[in-house]
Amino acid sequence: MDNTVNNEERFMGLTHGQVFVYTLMTVISILFLFITNAYLFRMNFEDWRSVPVPSLLWVNTGSLVLASVGMAWAKSGAKKTNLQTIKVGLAVGGLFAVIFVWGQIWAWQELTTLGFFLTINPANTFFYLITALHALHVLGGVVAWFYVTLKTFKQDASILKPESIGLLGAYWHYMLLVWVMLFGLLLTT
Amino acid sequence: MEQNAMYEGQPLHHPKGWWGRYVFSQDHKVIALQYICVALAIGLTGMFLSLLMRMQLGFPGLFESISAGNYYQDVTMHGMIMVIYLLTALFLGGFGNYLIPLMLGSRDMAFPFVNMLSFWVYFLSVIILVCSFFVESGPTGAGWTLYPPQSILEGTPGADGAGILLMLGSLAVFIIAFTMGGLNYITTVLQSRAKGMSMMRMPLIIWCLFLATFLGLLAFPALLVGAIMLIFDRVLETSFFMPEIFKGGEVLDYGGGSPVLFQHLFWFFGHPEVYIIALPAFGIISELISCHARKNIFGYNMMVWALIAIAGIAFIVWAHHMYVAGMNPYLGFFFATTTLIIAVPTAIKVYNWVITLWNANIKMTVPMLYCLAFLITFLIGGLTGLFLGNVAVDVPLSDTYFVVGHFHMVMAVSPVLALYGGLVHWYPSVTGRMLDDRLGKIHFWITFVGTYLIYFPMHYIGFLGVPRRYYSNEQYDFIPQSVNDLNQFITVCALIVGAAQFIFLYNLIVSAYRGEEAGSNPWGACTLEWQALESPPGHGNWGDQLPVVYRWPYDYGLPGATADFVPQNVPDEQIT
Repeated sequence: MDNTVNNEERFMGLTHGQVFVYTLMTVISILFLFITNAYLFRMNFEDWRSVPVPSLLWVNTGSLVLASVGMAWAKSGAKKTNLQTIKVGLAVGGLFAVIFVWGQIWAWQELTTLGFFLTINPANTFFYLITALHALHVLGGVVAWFYVTLKTFKQDASILKPESIGLLGAYWHYMLLVWVMLFGLLLTT
Repeated sequence: MEQNAMYEGQPLHHPKGWWGRYVFSQDHKVIALQYICVALAIGLTGMFLSLLMRMQLGFPGLFESISAGNYYQDVTMHGMIMVIYLLTALFLGGFGNYLIPLMLGSRDMAFPFVNMLSFWVYFLSVIILVCSFFVESGPTGAGWTLYPPQSILEGTPGADGAGILLMLGSLAVFIIAFTMGGLNYITTVLQSRAKGMSMMRMPLIIWCLFLATFLGLLAFPALLVGAIMLIFDRVLETSFFMPEIFKGGEVLDYGGGSPVLFQHLFWFFGHPEVYIIALPAFGIISELISCHARKNIFGYNMMVWALIAIAGIAFIVWAHHMYVAGMNPYLGFFFATTTLIIAVPTAIKVYNWVITLWNANIKMTVPMLYCLAFLITFLIGGLTGLFLGNVAVDVPLSDTYFVVGHFHMVMAVSPVLALYGGLVHWYPSVTGRMLDDRLGKIHFWITFVGTYLIYFPMHYIGFLGVPRRYYSNEQYDFIPQSVNDLNQFITVCALIVGAAQFIFLYNLIVSAYRGEEAGSNPWGACTLEWQALESPPGHGNWGDQLPVVYRWPYDYGLPGATADFVPQNVPDEQIT
């Protein structure tokens, strides 16, 4: 019996997971593209007063870089089928992603303490909206990370493939890339 | 099929018990039926709202309960329900789920669990939407475009209560559901095709569903961003879209925002949405015309490239909905040009359908009747679109009944006719039985002639300058009595067409039990969904062996073959 669901015809040799995640990244890119467009459109109006970007965001960016490095580490472990490296890499990746989100919340508190409340100016509103939407997407990744990490500690063979961890890592790198672009936007405008 | 069927190393999900089989099923066919049932149920609600509107327009004051506020709520909910929760969900969730794995020779969607989740999140969005009927202020009456500032300002029905928030929340949830479903369709089409099913051997409806999904995935984020920002403006009193507003001599807390920004975001979604609905309808028509005319579809490659062109250009025409909002004349020229250009690939499709019918062995089955009716209504809707695409013609016709007549012809009547044709065509695959032919024809003629009589006169009413969205036409000198007479006629037609839909519903339900046995391939179609071992196809679709594809999906009247069709999974050496 032909006992597989996957058939012969594939697109560019990609796996199901890769097509799913890459398409998802395209959709998320479009979402942030629209937000950025709206931001650039709105900032031309007279009432726009730019928000001083908290220096904490540099530290948060560093956290996200470390999270990305952790995921790359986990992927290299998966390639060598080294369970210990996978576990450490996943732990670093997940931990620093959570630290990033926590840091963003801290940055919001810093801004509100200085009087930059959400409704005072459209620039403030955009700042909170953009950073919150990005943080939400990072948290979505953390949910997937939790699932993969759980399976890793149970030593589930399907998860320990380089592809599964590689896809999670790709999402982490992608979130870093999106953040760098958004951070650049906030810094330069 | 054996219980150990595997899917990329994971077992193919097998339902456990009644709940797993019929409620929380991961089988794409069951999920398709769930989508169809929910979409038809909410669609009936949308139709009922349209009849209330027609009663007010045809016989003003007859129902005292229809106030101006109620009327606007009916208009808004009717529009949103029909476009998003009925047509988008039914075409992509219903037809997409049922046909994609079967027509591609796959056992199921690429991610069955996500597929199931997609339906339940869609169901949640419908529940949220329906809840707005029961909150104190009622549903929003802002018009289906939800334009700020009026959509969130006190005085607009539903704006000072939860109505507008429930609408925006429901849309956000719907978009999440669509994204889950859409990612699945894309992955399945690209990854789960049977051996031999190259992209250029896929049935045209799969191309259409694939491209419509891409359109949706790229367009819905614009609506999501707009909805989130509008929620901020409404709840937190931010000013993304809200300009400085004076009310009763007092300045409101808003200021500096741009309502036109919302219009751009809305229509960047809104125009591709037309094609999200139209493309699956094109696909259904392509399948039905070829099969029921017993002839190869004319110009398959041209059809595919026309579809790709339509999908691409659909993203650069959105501002033709905004000519009267004020824009740079050069920008207006650009959008008018792209709007006219998109008519070219669309016309290619219409010509190819007509050429397919030329000299064909046309069977006047119910699905074929729907195809012929679609060609007529789509032609009218398309040609009037050329009028409105031109800035100079659009400005005087904007916001008149001409626009209502145009868009109902092109994205309501035409897709619904395709929808009915598709339901009649694939009903035997779902139930193993045929729909009653006599009831089908009665329903067809009433629906086709009736909807034509409803929407065609609206173009003339529009030419007279009668504005759309007016609750009552009674107090305006420029509106002649003949318009009121015509409105009465349209309302009577609408009531008859509305009642006729219950004939179809009755036919759907009764034929499932008492309909004539269909056999495995009652229409003599070439595509794979009719070649499954069981009829209706069982869980896993293909028994022990996955199909292998040897030919394109339209081999009708092949020279040398005894039968007038050769299924896709029959190799040359087995043709008799």
